[in-house]
Amino acid sequence: MLRGTGTIFWREVGQYFASPVAYLIAFALLLLTGLLFNSDLTFSLTQKPADPALIPSFLALAMVFFAPLLTMRMLAEESREGTLELLLTAPVSDTAVVIGKFLSAWFYYTILLLLTFTYQFILLAITQPDLGLAVSAYIGIWLYGGATLAVGLLFSSLTENQIVAAFLSMSVLLLLWLGDIAGEIVANLDLARVLRQLSLGGHFSTSFAVGLLRAEDVAYYAGIMVVMLFITTRIVESHRWR
Amino acid sequence: MIEVHKLTKRYGYHLAVDQISFEAHPGEVVGLLGPNGAGKTTTMRMLTGFMPPSEGSARIAGFDVLADSLEVRRRVGYLPERVPVYPDMTVKGYVTFWAKLRGVEKPRARVDAVLERVHLTDRRNTLVRNLSKGLRQRLGLAQALVHDPPIVILDEPTIGIDPQQVIEVREAVRDLGKHHTVLFSTHILSEAEQVCDRVVIINRGKIIAQGTPDTLRTQLQHGLSLYVEIAGAGKEAGAKLLKALTGVESVTAQGNGFVVRARTDVRGEVADRVTRAGYRLLELRPVAMTLEDIFLDLVGRGK
Repeated sequence: MLRGTGTIFWREVGQYFASPVAYLIAFALLLLTGLLFNSDLTFSLTQKPADPALIPSFLALAMVFFAPLLTMRMLAEESREGTLELLLTAPVSDTAVVIGKFLSAWFYYTILLLLTFTYQFILLAITQPDLGLAVSAYIGIWLYGGATLAVGLLFSSLTENQIVAAFLSMSVLLLLWLGDIAGEIVANLDLARVLRQLSLGGHFSTSFAVGLLRAEDVAYYAGIMVVMLFITTRIVESHRWR
Repeated sequence: MIEVHKLTKRYGYHLAVDQISFEAHPGEVVGLLGPNGAGKTTTMRMLTGFMPPSEGSARIAGFDVLADSLEVRRRVGYLPERVPVYPDMTVKGYVTFWAKLRGVEKPRARVDAVLERVHLTDRRNTLVRNLSKGLRQRLGLAQALVHDPPIVILDEPTIGIDPQQVIEVREAVRDLGKHHTVLFSTHILSEAEQVCDRVVIINRGKIIAQGTPDTLRTQLQHGLSLYVEIAGAGKEAGAKLLKALTGVESVTAQGNGFVVRARTDVRGEVADRVTRAGYRLLELRPVAMTLEDIFLDLVGRGK
């Protein structure tokens, strides 16, 4: 592990638990998923079996809006408050700063994800859900979340303004997410396939969300994270040249 | 030990720092003195490893700021002009964070010691957002000193705090000079005189003078400015009277009186001449040389 990553990580985690925004996000997410789960249970009485991938599939859309809220502060605030100057003159590499921050966002997201396990426990108690599907959907949405947070962090490094950072990353994530339904708006089949391969949702909705674990999907999300973090590091580094 | 050799920073076509060279030795407080925009902050940013120099080199404790940036950063305590804080952390948490990030061995003991030193022990659990500006300045100092760096760089540490605190900070800086190499910047001449062992005056990115405050003062005080107010004489008559004195270089009207610049001490002659001409002398006092005057002076002489 790069020196300093742990220190940055724990400071950021502490920051999450000290800030009302993080609690509000957790509240909103649990409220929405709770309502959704409740209505799915009602349906499952008469029309279809309860879907263990329901919550992860909903999170795929929700993270388009929640990931930017979790990351918008991270670098924009440092740059506005001037603390970035101190971070960049501390004996740690720029990569350690970026990775520490990213991991803390992913860690907080993981906790949110663990909170939604409640629904799986309820399902386990009242019926016999397809556990394999549940596991694959959760692995998928965990990686998916990491990718969206990496995109959010990138935009946080681009501006001093948190709102701008959140808005830009939401727009980009929405585009990436919409690629999944490119087939419905693009007539050219090959082009639609390419777009779908590039999209966030395309690597989730027809694989992890239906119980498929494929190396290419894991590689896609890991790739997004690596590329985004690499660019973010370069942008942070560019503060030295301004 | 700070060794700066022909350090240059260019922003596009703009030369922010132009080939400056100076040294600071252990146990010495060196002041960077200059007006706003002179290149003080840019110089400091290059020395702290925040930004790379365009040309030239600088060594901190024997390490090159570009080639051994991490080693340099380990040995430098830096307080930027606007104290950077995390408002949601406690005083103790904030200082501990920087201690850990800079690899302090026993952070807890060091943090306690440094908080004691800047008199913030009783505020250790206060949120940083609730600190007054003066206390934030001390917190910034704590952050810069927590890893006990041999070199301390302070960017205008006395700006925007009340006079009592200014005195405290100046004392703290002088105190630091006993064990550390201190580089600090200011645009207040008297402050540099009080605090520094050596002063480096820079303007528009260039060093225009450097030396101990005493040498600089004797270099600079080759003339004298006086404010003279005379009752009874009109503007023109008064000016004519004063100009006729030997040693007087220029006379300019200011307010109800005149500012007289002279090569020698002409106070006696002025008083004498005014009374003998039948006017009454209302005011006669030396005008302290402002930093502006000195710059004009130095730049003028450089031509």
